[in-house]
Amino acid sequence: MSQIILNGLFVGSFYALIALGYSMVYGIIKLLNFAHGDVYMIGAFVGFVTLTSFGGLTAAATVPTLILLILVAMIFTGLLGVGIERVAYRPLRTSPRLAVLITAVGMSFTLEYAVRQIFGPSPKAYPVRLSGGSLDLFGARVSTAQLALMGVAALLMVVLAFYVNKTREGRAMRAIALDPQASTLMGINVNGVIARVFFIGSALAGAAGVMAGAYYGSIDFLMGFVIGLKAFTAAVIGGIGNLYGAMLGGLTLGLLESFGSAWLGGEWRDVFSFACLILFLSFKPTGLLGARVVERM
Amino acid sequence: MTSIRSTRGWQRARFAAVSAAVATVLAGCAGGVGGSGDDASGDTLKFGLLAPFSGSESAFGEYMKNGAQMAVDEINADGGIDGKEIELVTEDDACDATTAVSAANKLVSQGIVASVGGYCSGATLPTLPIFLQAEVPMVIPAANSNALPESDQENVFLINGTGTQQAEAAVKFAQKEGATKVAVIDDSTDYSVDLADSFAEQASEAGLEIVEDATVTPKEKDYAAEANKIVGSGADFVYWTGYYQEGALINRQAKDAGYEGTFLVGDGSVDASFAEITGEGYTENVYGTFTQTPDMLEGAGDWIAEYKEKFGAEPGPYSTQSYDAVRVAAEAIKEAGTTDMAEVVDALHGLDGFETFAGPLTFTDQGTREQGGFAIVTIGDDGTFVLHDDLLDD
Repeated sequence: MSQIILNGLFVGSFYALIALGYSMVYGIIKLLNFAHGDVYMIGAFVGFVTLTSFGGLTAAATVPTLILLILVAMIFTGLLGVGIERVAYRPLRTSPRLAVLITAVGMSFTLEYAVRQIFGPSPKAYPVRLSGGSLDLFGARVSTAQLALMGVAALLMVVLAFYVNKTREGRAMRAIALDPQASTLMGINVNGVIARVFFIGSALAGAAGVMAGAYYGSIDFLMGFVIGLKAFTAAVIGGIGNLYGAMLGGLTLGLLESFGSAWLGGEWRDVFSFACLILFLSFKPTGLLGARVVERM
Repeated sequence: MTSIRSTRGWQRARFAAVSAAVATVLAGCAGGVGGSGDDASGDTLKFGLLAPFSGSESAFGEYMKNGAQMAVDEINADGGIDGKEIELVTEDDACDATTAVSAANKLVSQGIVASVGGYCSGATLPTLPIFLQAEVPMVIPAANSNALPESDQENVFLINGTGTQQAEAAVKFAQKEGATKVAVIDDSTDYSVDLADSFAEQASEAGLEIVEDATVTPKEKDYAAEANKIVGSGADFVYWTGYYQEGALINRQAKDAGYEGTFLVGDGSVDASFAEITGEGYTENVYGTFTQTPDMLEGAGDWIAEYKEKFGAEPGPYSTQSYDAVRVAAEAIKEAGTTDMAEVVDALHGLDGFETFAGPLTFTDQGTREQGGFAIVTIGDDGTFVLHDDLLDD
């Protein structure tokens, strides 16, 4: 039992990291950014390129290398997110919601197939691998790498929560989520804040991409597709637009999947977790934390 | 959705490609060896070879063509078939059903007496009725879908082993390893499920206990749930029938979860990328069921040297099978003394222990080989799969 819970929490922390970006962007401009999963994929590839072009890094200690990689990928994907917003979403901000949604889908395909053109369709093996001993935790077998990754994910989320709730910029974000026009009147640089939200959300996805590459060991141009859908689901379960909701939703989905495959078998996992999702949403359409928090940020 | 499907299609094509090569050789001259030879080159027997020479599988077309050409040259140097030289005619099927059909028609119109090609099963299947109608016997070197023998066409013969035979090799290996509790995992695609079902059936018949029969969703990264089930089931032998990307992850995650037994993979996972993805320190006890490639075969050194000298390149997968397909077809025509399809088919069924790279060949009533030709490979020092056990000793 504890093994099933731990597996679920591990996968769930990846979902949560990516769900945050979905949720923040939706919270602030009501856009479902379907290219978000592909930003995660780009993050993994940035790590891959950095490693292969600086061969010496691989030989160096694993943990500092990994932290460096995560930082590089976060900066790159953060800037990429800002660029995507500037090029694809900002010109359409006043257009019908559907037009922006389709643009997001288009952006997703653009990123996927651009990477496919550059790196080819076959999966690439990650040059750095997280390995290490495993230890017994409440009767479950967990590797130190898994613990470390969950720790990094938790740390990033704590920093984010602090930033949004306690800083001046965070207050500006929450203000725009409440009422963009009033915020403009109050002298908040709306475009600047939106760009910042894209930077943060994309950087978190990029970090998750490097972590997944280093832990699982193989990356490919479509790796963001499924996880993007799952993270979106997680954001909806938690109540889209709500920060804590995204975190909670990610962990919930991870646990649902883990129990689904343990009880019914791997081929039933998605059936089980998505059936739960449909049931859940028909009773509580706002998600776990969707209604309680008035500010959708 | 589209994107996922296209990747899966690519993977499937890879498999199919493996299976289709030999059919074209047998299809040649309907006129018969002793006949009047009504086409322009009355003194040659044309063997047709359909293979992919363009598209993602094009590398295999070259391997097959060269292998077949070696056999043709050898036979011709030996005096041909009853004094008639063999001429190899190749056409590109691009691993595509539509292209393959028109290519097959083209070969038939050139008067081939045997078809010795066929790599992608999907591209080979639609050519079957064309060759049957033209009364051209087919010896298929690579394509090995169960759908080929199940077409119930008398003129279809497979050099490569089928899924059933691959499963047989896996069971044999499990017994050799002294396994008692086996787990089998597939990735929910047709080929993989067939192979897994076939393995489960044959393993239970052989007295092995199936403790876990699981299906996973491909294209995922986390298979921890399956890994724990493998460990929890107490299995000492795992057979994975899908492709290398997921297989390598499952192998790693199972070992992380504490699995210490044998990890056997099907031919879709036999790829150098497996070792890369699964990572250093996780390649112990990993084996694969695979058709032998020339570099794995004992005593193939001279053959490889000759191939290199002739074509300036290393032989690859299905070079030897195509070589054998030509020899098998030629032998049958020689035996029959005619190119009449019914008689050549009889002669093919009459072959008994004909020497091929994959061991002695005798055809079953369905035109598949009695012994599958699958060997057990394992990961060598450089990360590629090398021969471990050819399974021929018993």
